[in-house]
Amino acid sequence: MAKLILMCLKFMVLCSTVEAVFEDQVGKFDWRQQYVGKVRFSHFDTHLQSSKKVLLATENNVFASLNTRTGELLWRHVDKIGPEGNIDALLQHGQDALLVVGDGRLLRSWEINVGGLNWEIVLDSGSFQSACLIGQQDIVKHVAVLKKTVISLHYLSNGHQKWIENLPESDTVDYQAVYSGGNGDVYALGVVPHSHIAIVVYSLEDGEIIKQISVEAPWLSNIQASCAVIGQGMLTCVDSATVSLYMLDLDAQSEMTQIPLQSLGLDVTPGFQPVLVSTQPNPAQPPLSEFFLQLGPEHHLLLQLNDGQIVTLRDFKPAMLVSFATTGEKTVAAVMSPKNMTACTINLFSAESGRRLLDTTLIFNMDPNVGKPEKLYVQAFLKKDDSVGYRVMVQTEDHTLTFIQQPGRVMWTREEALSDVVTMEMVDLPLTGTQAELEGEFGKKAAIQDGLFSMVLKRLSSQLILLQAWIGHLWKLFYDARKPRSQVKNDVTIENLSRDEFNLQKMMVMVTASGKLFGIDSKTGSILWRHYLENIPSNAAFKLMVQRNTAHFPHPPQCTLLIKDKDTGLATLHVFNPIFGKKSHITPPAMPQPILQSLMLPVMDQDYAKVLLLVDDQYKVSAFPSTKNVLQQLQEMASSIFFYLVDSSQGRLSGYRLRTDLSTELIWEVVVPTEVQRIVSVKGKRPNEHVHSQGRVMGDRSVLYKYLNPNLLAVVTESTDLHQERSFVGILLIDGVTGRIIHEAVQRKAKGPVHVVHSENWVVYEYWSTKSRRNEFSVIELYEGMELYNSTVFSSLDRPHAPQVLQQSYIFPSSISTMEATLTEKGITSRHLLIGLPSGGILSLPKMFLDPRRPEIVTEQSREENLIPYAPELLIRSEWFINYNQTVTRVRGIYTAPSGLESTCLVVAYGLDIYQTRVYPSKQFDVLKDDYDYMLISSVLFALFFATMISKRLAEVKLLNRAWR
Amino acid sequence: MASPGGQGGGALSTRGGGGARRMKWALELSMGNTRSRGDRQGGQGDVVYPIGFSEKPVPDTSIQETDKNLVEKRCWDVALGPLKQIPMNLFIMYMSGNTISIFPIMMVCMMAWRPIQALMSMSATFKLLESSSQQWLQGLVYLVGNLLGSALAIYKCQSMGLLPTHSSDWLAFIGPPERMEIMGGGMVL
Repeated sequence: MAKLILMCLKFMVLCSTVEAVFEDQVGKFDWRQQYVGKVRFSHFDTHLQSSKKVLLATENNVFASLNTRTGELLWRHVDKIGPEGNIDALLQHGQDALLVVGDGRLLRSWEINVGGLNWEIVLDSGSFQSACLIGQQDIVKHVAVLKKTVISLHYLSNGHQKWIENLPESDTVDYQAVYSGGNGDVYALGVVPHSHIAIVVYSLEDGEIIKQISVEAPWLSNIQASCAVIGQGMLTCVDSATVSLYMLDLDAQSEMTQIPLQSLGLDVTPGFQPVLVSTQPNPAQPPLSEFFLQLGPEHHLLLQLNDGQIVTLRDFKPAMLVSFATTGEKTVAAVMSPKNMTACTINLFSAESGRRLLDTTLIFNMDPNVGKPEKLYVQAFLKKDDSVGYRVMVQTEDHTLTFIQQPGRVMWTREEALSDVVTMEMVDLPLTGTQAELEGEFGKKAAIQDGLFSMVLKRLSSQLILLQAWIGHLWKLFYDARKPRSQVKNDVTIENLSRDEFNLQKMMVMVTASGKLFGIDSKTGSILWRHYLENIPSNAAFKLMVQRNTAHFPHPPQCTLLIKDKDTGLATLHVFNPIFGKKSHITPPAMPQPILQSLMLPVMDQDYAKVLLLVDDQYKVSAFPSTKNVLQQLQEMASSIFFYLVDSSQGRLSGYRLRTDLSTELIWEVVVPTEVQRIVSVKGKRPNEHVHSQGRVMGDRSVLYKYLNPNLLAVVTESTDLHQERSFVGILLIDGVTGRIIHEAVQRKAKGPVHVVHSENWVVYEYWSTKSRRNEFSVIELYEGMELYNSTVFSSLDRPHAPQVLQQSYIFPSSISTMEATLTEKGITSRHLLIGLPSGGILSLPKMFLDPRRPEIVTEQSREENLIPYAPELLIRSEWFINYNQTVTRVRGIYTAPSGLESTCLVVAYGLDIYQTRVYPSKQFDVLKDDYDYMLISSVLFALFFATMISKRLAEVKLLNRAWR
Repeated sequence: MASPGGQGGGALSTRGGGGARRMKWALELSMGNTRSRGDRQGGQGDVVYPIGFSEKPVPDTSIQETDKNLVEKRCWDVALGPLKQIPMNLFIMYMSGNTISIFPIMMVCMMAWRPIQALMSMSATFKLLESSSQQWLQGLVYLVGNLLGSALAIYKCQSMGLLPTHSSDWLAFIGPPERMEIMGGGMVL
């Protein structure tokens, strides 16, 4: 036994390849970008004048702090996904930031300088409504948290609960807001919709109810949406139905006073719900008596409450966004108003008087690729001469944050849309201009008519250009070599983009959920273009396809994005150039019918664009592009074009064949009963996958041929019964052309989420075993046997023999987030599985460990085959992490693309962060090492050369001398 | 050029001593010739060879007809040479083993190369055996011996696994099969 273990160990040591990066390789070909997501709350640190921090709480449950000078993250805390980590409120006081998390589950206090947690307490259950800092006599010591049924007060210093009180009549009254004016009272404001407002006043000291008022308000349904407290405890509400303001003194009155907006000379844009914006610079002081009233999408008013009278300080029309900001004792209002089609101006106004402050105009250039501004965050500060200066952070529709300084200098932008990448593709970069010229010389048919002489001239001139470019390149190399490495900057712009020698640099086209498309250089990670698609529904499904790559000069590369609105089923196509991001002049076809799926054919039209078939809900097919040439080709090939559709709601898999008139006929159907199990995912093979070896060499030197069915689909099902004894995971291998079930496996007592990778002749899937309470990997491999049925063509319709199926399972010590297999140009390199772990690591697991032929008993033959003896546990070895300490938070997908080098595979992991690197599954067998000693080798070579020359000469002399003797 | 002239002079002087002695010694400094040229000139021009002396070597054409058996024996030696090597080769084969490393490979190469070389120079060997009466038989034995030697080498290659006799050896040449059907689709979007 000991011998066996020793042998196993030896095998492990021998078979493992060291893939960890060396210290000096860090950041050489990999990069990471960290994002926070769409901002929900933001506060500038106003505690210190010189502070450079802005706090952000986002919809992705991230709480972070940015450096306002550079836009870089100072620190970031990522909470759980989903409602459990949802950030409900962000309050800031001095050095502390208070966060209510998970629908009022937790109250946390953070130290904002370093991002450390001061304290965290668990709140009583109940859905969260509102939170507010409570101050008394200019000192803020408490925070009040209002929930559905209770109100509680906590100390800011340690989070301990001071008191907790039940709210009276909480079953009928909907308490929505909590307010304190700094006088020792805490007001809980509730509403019985369309009936009355209930106000409960608690004493700060012991939580005793001081007062309880009920005020008639039959028009009010939501306090938070339409009310604000202004001035000395004056609850002000706006109602669009009666077009009036209602005011109530929280301390004295018991009835609301109605002020019709007409009496102020104002009217509301029809159909618009007016909004009130007030400001309370210091929680220990009552709010200011100035407030904004928004009457239309682009109409704001600065109003003032003066002795119970509403005074209009200033009318802003048009004004898109307004915001208050306070610095020191001064409160200012920033107003953004459109200047022209492409720019907005932001001006600062004194809140007290409504006067415009001098020299405070700031111009915000609206990029058409950014969308409309959505929110305005203002950082005000006092200049040396006591005037107010400011910087603004504008959040636009596409979740971009732009930080602007006067008079309009953009200090930084953060593309937060990239925190939610949906799908991506990597496109080869085009050849350089000179190379393209060479191509053009031989590509054009017209050149033949030019005659011999002009052809020679052309050839010479293009060679001259190439020479010139080469000399320029050499000069640049020489010039850069003299500078220290840190100063050399390779600024990549769209103009100087070109394919490198080994095609390692590519364009990453990323589609984000907000509908913004990005073109990112894979080498440096710099964003080269962005394009914002407006009016993208929030639940849209995207499918990105490369119709024409860069190989067909002078035709530009072409990508097509299919955007489908899941509600209506209607789809649109966005056709664009993936290198420049520009929308193509080709008009995509109008699609009046809902689209079910699309299918990219390997057929090209005369412009080398691959044909895209769109299947609508009538199972009719339309082609794009649909020229005569294409339609003719389609007619010829129709009988060999098949497609399959999977409807997981009905549990139906169906296969169709194309008819020559572009209608379809159903040829097979498999129904998975939805009451027992549901289809979770369907994985085919990647169309750009190459398999070099058609079989595996056995120990006796015979061949076990792989079953390489390009039409094979792996269908994963999960049981609807989630009881741990009865739940199961099923996997079906179906031929997509004939509908024949090749193999079926059921994993009993197993549960999803199932991650599956389907490639070559194997399927790897991962599930949770409820029986053993662990994560397990299972691998299925398909073999044709010792004989190939037909080595020249593969047709699913002519396959009389069923393949041999081998399966093995393993225990994996961690849960996983996503999984993908490496991909190389020719498929010679061995394969690795790239596994994204919830811890943020990306593991590169050799496929050789997931091999159903791993023997339990080692024999001579298995040793000959280099099979590792079976061990149920798969270990995670730290050198397998390809991203060392560059954690990729919440990795959602991994994209792999082949490079021009067979050994190298490009990897992009995306989630909240984006990480790009290269992997070498079989090490860099086709490249000299980074640390290859050119100097030594060349000096040895030269030395040897000279030594031979000299010794030859010496030998001659010696021979001569001997001859003379 | 002083010393070659001097030496040449020395040579001349000795030769002069062999010929008609006119003076005790002479020094010819004005001769611009190298030594060899001077020698040849001297050999061809000045010296009179003895009668019957020929500059060209005369081949020894006398055949010893008497010891024909000896020739026969010698020819059989040549013919049986390859066969005699076989036991030696077998021993080497056995000793070198079936692992593929530099020495066994070198030995196999030698073993394979020698018979092939011998077969290539078959005509030269036949010329050697021309004098023998059993020329054809000897030639046949020689051929068979060499063929056996090369067969042994092939067998060695085979046992070392160097011959492409298994299907796995041709695996790399099987291209991916052509796809007859085009298929695509997926979950309903």
